[in-house]
Amino acid sequence: MTGYRGLVRALLIGTVATSVAAAQAPALPAAPAGAPQDSGALRVQVQGTLSEAQKNDPKLEEMTKTVASELRCPVCQGLSIQDSPSELSQQMRTVVKEQLASGKSEQEVKDYFISKYGEWILLEPQPHGFNLLIYALPVLLVLGGAGFIVLLVKRWTAAPVAIAASGDATRTNDEIPE
Amino acid sequence: MIRLLASNAILVGLVISVLGAILLPVAVNRGRRDWMMLGYAAVYTNFVLVTVATLALVWGLASHDFSISYVAQVGSRATPTFYGIISLWGALEGSIVFWAWVLGMYAAAVVWFNRKREGNLVPYAATTLLLVVLFFHILLVGPANPFHLVSPVPFDGPGPNPLLQNHILMAVHPPLLYLGYVGLTVPFAFAMGAMLSGEVASDDWIRLTRRWTIVAWGFLTAAIIAGMWWSYEVLGWGGYWAWDPVENASFIPWLTATAYLHSVMVQERRGMLKLWNLNLMVGTFVLTILGTFLTRSGIISSVHAFTQGTIGYYFLGFIAVVLLATLIMVAGNSDKLGSTGTLDSALSRDALFLMNNLFLTVFMFTVLIGTLFPLVAELVRGVKVSVGEPFFNRMSIPLMVGLLFLMGVGPALPWKRSTWPELRAKLIPGVILGLLLGAFGIWAGARNPYSILAFTFAGFAAAVNIGEFVSGANARVRAHGELWPVALSRLISGNRRRYGGYLSHLGIVLVAVGVSASATFRTEREATLQPGETITLAGKTLRLKGVWGREEKQRSVIGATMELLEGTKVVGVVEPRMNYYPTSAQPVPTPEVRTTWSGDIYLNLMAFKQDGSTATVKVIWEPLIPWIWFGGLVICLGAIVGVLPARKRVSAEADADGATVAAAGSAS
Repeated sequence: MTGYRGLVRALLIGTVATSVAAAQAPALPAAPAGAPQDSGALRVQVQGTLSEAQKNDPKLEEMTKTVASELRCPVCQGLSIQDSPSELSQQMRTVVKEQLASGKSEQEVKDYFISKYGEWILLEPQPHGFNLLIYALPVLLVLGGAGFIVLLVKRWTAAPVAIAASGDATRTNDEIPE
Repeated sequence: MIRLLASNAILVGLVISVLGAILLPVAVNRGRRDWMMLGYAAVYTNFVLVTVATLALVWGLASHDFSISYVAQVGSRATPTFYGIISLWGALEGSIVFWAWVLGMYAAAVVWFNRKREGNLVPYAATTLLLVVLFFHILLVGPANPFHLVSPVPFDGPGPNPLLQNHILMAVHPPLLYLGYVGLTVPFAFAMGAMLSGEVASDDWIRLTRRWTIVAWGFLTAAIIAGMWWSYEVLGWGGYWAWDPVENASFIPWLTATAYLHSVMVQERRGMLKLWNLNLMVGTFVLTILGTFLTRSGIISSVHAFTQGTIGYYFLGFIAVVLLATLIMVAGNSDKLGSTGTLDSALSRDALFLMNNLFLTVFMFTVLIGTLFPLVAELVRGVKVSVGEPFFNRMSIPLMVGLLFLMGVGPALPWKRSTWPELRAKLIPGVILGLLLGAFGIWAGARNPYSILAFTFAGFAAAVNIGEFVSGANARVRAHGELWPVALSRLISGNRRRYGGYLSHLGIVLVAVGVSASATFRTEREATLQPGETITLAGKTLRLKGVWGREEKQRSVIGATMELLEGTKVVGVVEPRMNYYPTSAQPVPTPEVRTTWSGDIYLNLMAFKQDGSTATVKVIWEPLIPWIWFGGLVICLGAIVGVLPARKRVSAEADADGATVAAAGSAS
């Protein structure tokens, strides 16, 4: 049984085996009951196939950044794996880079993560089908609202007669505070 | 003992708010001024009672009284007393208590400042406030009761969420947020009062409400900025806004409240948009409740989480009641809500306010549907989707850039109508500064069109808004031969709301520049270092001195000591840390931020070897980030200028536009 801090450290560093951590961790209290445990089920498999040249390739890094910004960190509050400092995100970023280096397209990498986690892993819904709604509605609202305003302004500036006809003009003058 | 006192205080408060809410309308109907005073007394008494309950809970937290369920839930003997006390707002029940207290305070203040006012507006507004108070009392005796007895009394508790005890800003952000959020109940109550009393046709109530709205808006703005700062200082990713549902919930009502602060001026001057303004007021209030519902019911993370607690149904029921009541009352007052004025020209400030409201409303709607969409998709398609930063940035950046542009055009346009030569004179400095700043952005490496536009419009808006101060003061200097600073200060005090507004605009410009610069020019680098090795970014070199560990009472801390080098000379020491709390498997990052005039060096400890032989650090160069915090301060200063009482002799003065500056001068 590892102390929770040892566990956390092992988890954090990734390279250190749990037993090593246990051996080196100072005497620490055991994990309290109900403390969150290793989120192992969410783990991804880092292959370790990146060459030194690939690790420092700026173009690959740029592509990785683009894809990583669109994938959600599974253990955070809505951060992308590009932004999240969590260990899982760092691993996922490496996986993204490895897959891109192996010749997969950005969409194929995203598809891989969708197959693993579901559509939820994308920080932005894919623009087709039902999802189109959230892209279309704001645009329609801007256009419709702008059209409405143009009509209103035209009516309000051009037709004091029309408003007088509706009976409102009678209260006009004494009630506008200046 | 304390526990019983507090729960009884809540119970009595509930009864009293019911009695008051019945008594006040009856008093109005019978024309009994004395009964009305009794109704007001109910508002004061309620405030005393919720104060007792709140203090009792604070005392319970400070004295580790684990027989109180809330203390048993969030308290811990190891937590420093200060963080123990502020966990008052660390979980659901405590935050509802705090909400009820702030609401009680606002209600008492509203009634106190207007107690002598004739007419039926204030008693009806007080009735509305008491009904909202009642809702929160119902929550407190029902699903959010913090005062259950825990038996047997546990010896210790788990302590607050680690994220809430890791930074001092957690003592600042939530109270500001509640002061803002809850304060928006006041304009809502006045709107209801105006419709109930039939005073909605006169604009008197709008003037009464205005200052309260600015106060609440100022607090909400400060809260949002403080929340961004907290996120930046604590979460370790170097950003300040992730479009998280909790953040969105605070931002959505801010957008409608901002829209209201602008469109209300059209109503005051023109007698137009009355129904629209009522909608904005009620809408803003409903959005604060909806935001609380979304973030507190757990429904956003999953529709299934919703069923775990019943509090969500209370919120939904309350929202339904508010909307229904509004609908009925608007229908009953429809003859009084028509426009009584007209516009003179499409090229006027009035017309531009319509565009401002369109942009702010669409912005609100976009954030709202983005926040709600995961829920809708799960219900409709049965699939979980995420709506995060890429979506919100894509949709909102054009709106932000558009608003920045309007913020520059609006103040340049006079009320009523404008001529091109007039307008040109006001716009030329703006266009020059805008182009300069845009060109500077391109020179500095900005390639994204929105980013370049943001710099351009920020410069434009800055020059136009500053121009309003300069030209106004110049006019006074010419008219009265005053010294320039005297002229400026008299100009501002002659029309506080207007110049407070311009000051807030300048704050927004600062925020906009900080946001675009940090988004555009941010660079980062991550490296695993051994002691003695260095990492260099944006011309700053940092050297790892060592990794250390320390046990504290409530947590253990791992830190890396890094030296900031200039050449070979050590000019500073930075210590990013990771804090391990017993309740959390994930460490809480504690980045260290070094602020310089041009930006922040943001240093986060990512990982370390057990034996201290290496540390992995991430260095982020964050250009102009401090401008955001400073800009927030300026926005709030604008709000303060806007609410300070005007000097008596000039208070009746109309908006000092152009020629009337002279008149304002002679009156003072």
